[in-house]
Amino acid sequence: MVAAVLADGLHKTYQVPVRGAGIQAALKSLVHRETEAVQAVKNVNLEIAEGEVVGFLGPNGAGKTTTIKMLTGLLHPTTGIAQVFGYQPAKREHQFLMQITLVMGQRNQLLWDIPVIDSFDRNRVIYKVSKTDYEKTLDELVALLDLDSLLHKPVRNLSLGERMKCEIAVALLHRPRMLFLDEPTIGLDVTMQRKLREFITQYNQQTGATVLLTSHYMADVQALCKRVIVIHHGSILFDGYLDHLVQRFTAHKTISIKLSDPLVDLSGYGELITRSEEQAAFRIPNREAANFTSRLLRDLDIVDLTVEDPPIEEIIESVFNQSA
Amino acid sequence: MLAQIQYRASGVIWMIGSIIEPVIFLVVWSRVARARGGEVGGYAENEFAAYYIVLMLVNHVTFTWIMHVFQSRIQFGQLSFQLMRPVHPIHEDLSDNVAYKIVQLTVMLPAVIILILIFQPKFNFEMWSLLLAVPAIILALAVRFTLEWTLALVAFWTTRVNAINQSYFAIIMFFSGRVAPMALLPVTIQSIASALPFYYMIAFPVELLLGKLTPAQALTNIVIQLGWLAFALMLLVSLWKVAVKQYSAVGN
Amino acid sequence: MIEFFRLANVFLRIGAMNEMAYRANFWIQTFESLLSMATALATIAIVFNQTDSLGGWQRAELISLLGVYFLVLGTINLVVSPSLGRFMEEVVDGRLDFTLTKPADAQLLVSISEFRIWKILDVILGLIVLSMGLLTKAEATSFASALVFGITLLAAGAIVYSFWIILATLAFWFIRIENITMIFWSMYTAGRWPVTIYPPWLKWILTLLVPVAFAVTVPAQALSGRLTFNTLMSAVLLAVALVFISRWFWKLGVKSYSGASA
Repeated sequence: MVAAVLADGLHKTYQVPVRGAGIQAALKSLVHRETEAVQAVKNVNLEIAEGEVVGFLGPNGAGKTTTIKMLTGLLHPTTGIAQVFGYQPAKREHQFLMQITLVMGQRNQLLWDIPVIDSFDRNRVIYKVSKTDYEKTLDELVALLDLDSLLHKPVRNLSLGERMKCEIAVALLHRPRMLFLDEPTIGLDVTMQRKLREFITQYNQQTGATVLLTSHYMADVQALCKRVIVIHHGSILFDGYLDHLVQRFTAHKTISIKLSDPLVDLSGYGELITRSEEQAAFRIPNREAANFTSRLLRDLDIVDLTVEDPPIEEIIESVFNQSA
Repeated sequence: MLAQIQYRASGVIWMIGSIIEPVIFLVVWSRVARARGGEVGGYAENEFAAYYIVLMLVNHVTFTWIMHVFQSRIQFGQLSFQLMRPVHPIHEDLSDNVAYKIVQLTVMLPAVIILILIFQPKFNFEMWSLLLAVPAIILALAVRFTLEWTLALVAFWTTRVNAINQSYFAIIMFFSGRVAPMALLPVTIQSIASALPFYYMIAFPVELLLGKLTPAQALTNIVIQLGWLAFALMLLVSLWKVAVKQYSAVGN
Repeated sequence: MIEFFRLANVFLRIGAMNEMAYRANFWIQTFESLLSMATALATIAIVFNQTDSLGGWQRAELISLLGVYFLVLGTINLVVSPSLGRFMEEVVDGRLDFTLTKPADAQLLVSISEFRIWKILDVILGLIVLSMGLLTKAEATSFASALVFGITLLAAGAIVYSFWIILATLAFWFIRIENITMIFWSMYTAGRWPVTIYPPWLKWILTLLVPVAFAVTVPAQALSGRLTFNTLMSAVLLAVALVFISRWFWKLGVKSYSGASA
């Protein structure tokens, strides 16, 4: 079966002009352009099967957007192969473009001054969607995203969250098989972020569309993606299930306790993260966690005890720091 | 440094735009003079070149752009900031205006030299006219600046600023000597023009520099300039008061 | 071709709604167009107050020329210049990426994205003034001249459009080139007068560098029966050549934008 997305040895190197400071350097730069090579993406290999929802995680400048651009045909790879549904994106064949869609968090393709429904109409024509299909899809999207009251308003009258909902809707009017979502939840409030995540999950379940979502919000990835690809400095650091990521990159557990006696001295037990009167949290290396727990239970009068992994943000941070 | 070069480039581009109109009319009128046997309306063929090159310079010294930006100033709230300062916003605009023109001279002067080389104008400079031209030009700038700043205030009362500006520019095209030197216009238009301030804003200093006026005429015109300046200032002050009152009441 | 009409239909419809609802006001636009035309006619009147002919052109012919000027300018400002202006903005803000991921020809999408419907007033005014000039002319216009006029008008359209595309394509390399388009507009105003009256160096610029001559003077020459066969052929050949060159240049621009190796 043809993979939805296939990347093999993808490289993207930019020639960036280098200019020293000062007048001499500026004058020199007029005559002789010095450039330096910046590797935005280094040897990226990945394979995404149809129907998967994959999270593409990395800090700013990691290479996420560059990779997405290579997969949507906006950029030619310097070397390596990119394939989506068997097509080479860079060729920008119309049959290929009909099957994908791109949503960019900070930028709107909707026309600013006219009612949303007219922007929808425009895309219907560009993507050659039949009237019946269009009406059916539109009804579904309106229901899923609660767009009824928004359709006839000009985009400039919508709030940021409403705008994003309409952006996603307009991007899905042609029922693409592949969704490239580049930071779609950025700048939105928590409720709207959650709503959008729910929508994407539902959409994936209902239509079987493949989703590649980039984000630097951990909550997006946690909620949506079983599979996570972590990229940093242009290279892939991790590609696999989110639980495995946690397992592999955490060396510590967070053990939180609630005491009946607030005055108990807790020094000598281990690294304390927080201490208030009745509660405390420790950071304990994985292999010692079991022993530590039994010791605590034996020595102290404990009302409640939990053993947790550190927050995923911390884990990811340490992943990035490790590779720096 | 690159930013400076880019800035300079846009200055050149702007300047090309402001040269084209006088050059076009220069050519048109020179052709008319040629067809009429070398002279029309008291201007010889190469005197048109002189007229339009000097016109370009005088226009450069006296022009303003405030009527194009005042609306956005109100819309985007900069005006509120300016009103909070103890200084009237007109001062900042005046210094911006003059500073820009001085900087643009670095681009303007080479262009003028090139035009002189191409069109070979005939100049008739006399000492007294050059001396009188100094106050004449300064007053021309003062009158034009004040009047156009006042014009910009329409933005307080309407959004159709563009239509009003366009009307203004159409009027000064004819009454300030840009379409043709005043002597070439129908007599009725010439009489109307002498009753309006526009001639004194541009055409008068040009004619003075070209030696087309007698000292008596020049001095009379300078007095008239002073009169128009006084009128313009009074108009500005009263309109501004009304405008600010309304602006604060609406609470932008 | 059908593709073009389908897309044009919806883009134009939406663009027109845009204009009508939010941006411009019909009466103000009418006023501005009329004022512009009146100013230009008054200028011609003032010149012809002093002479009977300008570079061999009679007043009536100059009025027709003005009509052609408004006609061609209006047609370009109707769709091409606002659309390509928006394209230049989208290169800067990255929204061009949306256009490039659509399954339609990018040059087409980019050329018809905006429709300033009220510019039709300039076109209509141009046609009216053009006819006025023809009617008041000493000799009647022959059918042959009219036909040739049609050809030169089509050539003018193709030439100006291609020129605009070449200019806009520069945005792929020189990201902020709006200023350069300003030069084009300023030079275009020289088209109100027959290009033949300008000194040779200016004539050259207005023919080859900024195609004002082919856009306005040549069709006007066709109407007055002054058009030589050579000029007509040059116009047609230039039109064809520029269409291909601009298309090639545009594709080059897109390739460069996407970092394709040569």
